[in-house]
Amino acid sequence: MSIQYKSIKELKNMLNDKDISHTELVQETFLNIKNNSALNAFITLNEEESLKKAVNLDNTPSSGSLAGIPIAQKDLFCTKDLKTTCGSNMLSNFIPPYSATVIENLENAGCISVGKTNMDEFAMGSSNETSFYGNVGNPWGENLVPGGSSGGSAAAVAAGIVPAASGTDTGGSIRQPASLCGISGLKPTYGRISRWGMIAFASSLDQAGPMARTAEDCALLLNEMCSHDEKDTTSIDEVIPDFTENLNSSIQGLKIGLVKEFDLSKLDNDVVQVFEESKKHYESLGAEFIEISLPNISLSVPTYYVVAPAECSSNLSRFDGVKFGKRCDNPKDLEELYIKTRSEGFGDEVKRRILIGSYVLSAGFYDAYYKKAQQVRRLIKNDFDSAFKSVDIIMSPTTRGAAFDAGSKGDDPIQMYLEDLFTIPANLAGLPAMSIPNGMIDNKPIGLQLIGNFLDESRLLQAAHNFQISTDWHLKTPSGNKS
Amino acid sequence: MDKKTVSTIAYLSRLSLNEENEDKITEDLKNIIKFVDQLDGADTNNIEPLANPLEKTAKTRTDNVTAKNRKEVFLERSPKSNEDYFLVPRVVE
Repeated sequence: MSIQYKSIKELKNMLNDKDISHTELVQETFLNIKNNSALNAFITLNEEESLKKAVNLDNTPSSGSLAGIPIAQKDLFCTKDLKTTCGSNMLSNFIPPYSATVIENLENAGCISVGKTNMDEFAMGSSNETSFYGNVGNPWGENLVPGGSSGGSAAAVAAGIVPAASGTDTGGSIRQPASLCGISGLKPTYGRISRWGMIAFASSLDQAGPMARTAEDCALLLNEMCSHDEKDTTSIDEVIPDFTENLNSSIQGLKIGLVKEFDLSKLDNDVVQVFEESKKHYESLGAEFIEISLPNISLSVPTYYVVAPAECSSNLSRFDGVKFGKRCDNPKDLEELYIKTRSEGFGDEVKRRILIGSYVLSAGFYDAYYKKAQQVRRLIKNDFDSAFKSVDIIMSPTTRGAAFDAGSKGDDPIQMYLEDLFTIPANLAGLPAMSIPNGMIDNKPIGLQLIGNFLDESRLLQAAHNFQISTDWHLKTPSGNKS
Repeated sequence: MDKKTVSTIAYLSRLSLNEENEDKITEDLKNIIKFVDQLDGADTNNIEPLANPLEKTAKTRTDNVTAKNRKEVFLERSPKSNEDYFLVPRVVE
């Protein structure tokens, strides 16, 4: 029985019914990985260890909620004794001595980490074209980008290789690739999932989350990924609900906000039409639409491109060639060691962002840029706080369009930055947000974004699941509709 | 933002730019800074900066030793080390 395109829930049933053994599941997963090697979705495979775990599970059944489920881990999470590159030459030889908390949580629930997925270098990019390990393909079409930065994770799920992958989202890096690859992806509330062991890009924005075929699978994964972690001082110490509990409850009376300032008339007709149809569908499910105003939302992208590079330039100063990672050959003194190591180890986009960060943080410019951006960040958060007094969730397209061709954004970085127009605001405000497939444009999938109030992931997942049990966009695969 | 500024911030960032991409990166940074200059238009009088969406004081934990000393594990991941230290080129002559 083929396992390709199976959801977590389906695989769990197959394992329970003994339609497939744990070992067969893992063997077939690696076969699928190898058959899809042209996608370049993986940087490192963990075959031997995965098979060992599967054999153990066949011999000694486990009660873990995700026992034996193969998962692809974004190569940004530290994995003990398994190479972790963050898509960079700088870490091409880095083997972490410990695992990230979220990786431990998933593995404790029984997940088998089959490999590390390709990504934009240090998660900086929206097309997976900045990885040191080469571009990632989108299973929906040759030369299409999968989005980024969690592009390898999205492509691996979309190709039906694995039912689940971990991702991280600083400005849209889970939701944008989920949209372009036709899968479901959730960025939780800032602080829901521990950042310990995640290689930091912008610490006040970074958040890990699940990427899967369905909202229901995202809920199953989120249940295990969340924990309060003393090792991360920004980890939230709040009750973690069972995210699957309300999935099937009706959304009759759900108040959905539409952002007045998101000017959809600038988008292609096809994109607007897909969005309008989803609105109609939600109306048929009993939801009610309310126009809301987020007056400062248009400043989200410029705010982000001050805050994120500032935090990046500070975080990435740790890569100096001394304690771990790459070091240049034959430096003549310590300063040359730093400069040559960093210049050889980082790619162009990472350098560009470090430079912007150093500029906006430098004496004389700090108030004009960094402080100003943090003030505007508060205005944006205040806008959301007011909006959530009258609505339960907010809805928009996830992306401005479907997947684009590699190289088509030219070399103007701002064009690429605008790719995250709809996704960045949720990171600035720390709110949970997800993308689910809601249509096709020229045979390419596109996603719908749902933004929730603080800690209200359950309601997002409920709204997404209600959509998915009454539509079939999430069942479409590059090789046709899923049976 | 000009080539001189770029070369100063490159030095502050401990990055060297080669001649061929110096012009391109100066142009890119100029455009990005122009793009973020839109923030000037926002009225932020008396608005407290927001550094982190949680705005909670970082939680402390009791001061117990929770990690074992794993000096060897960390030193062996270094590009250059001896049994006790990370090694770098001589700093003091």
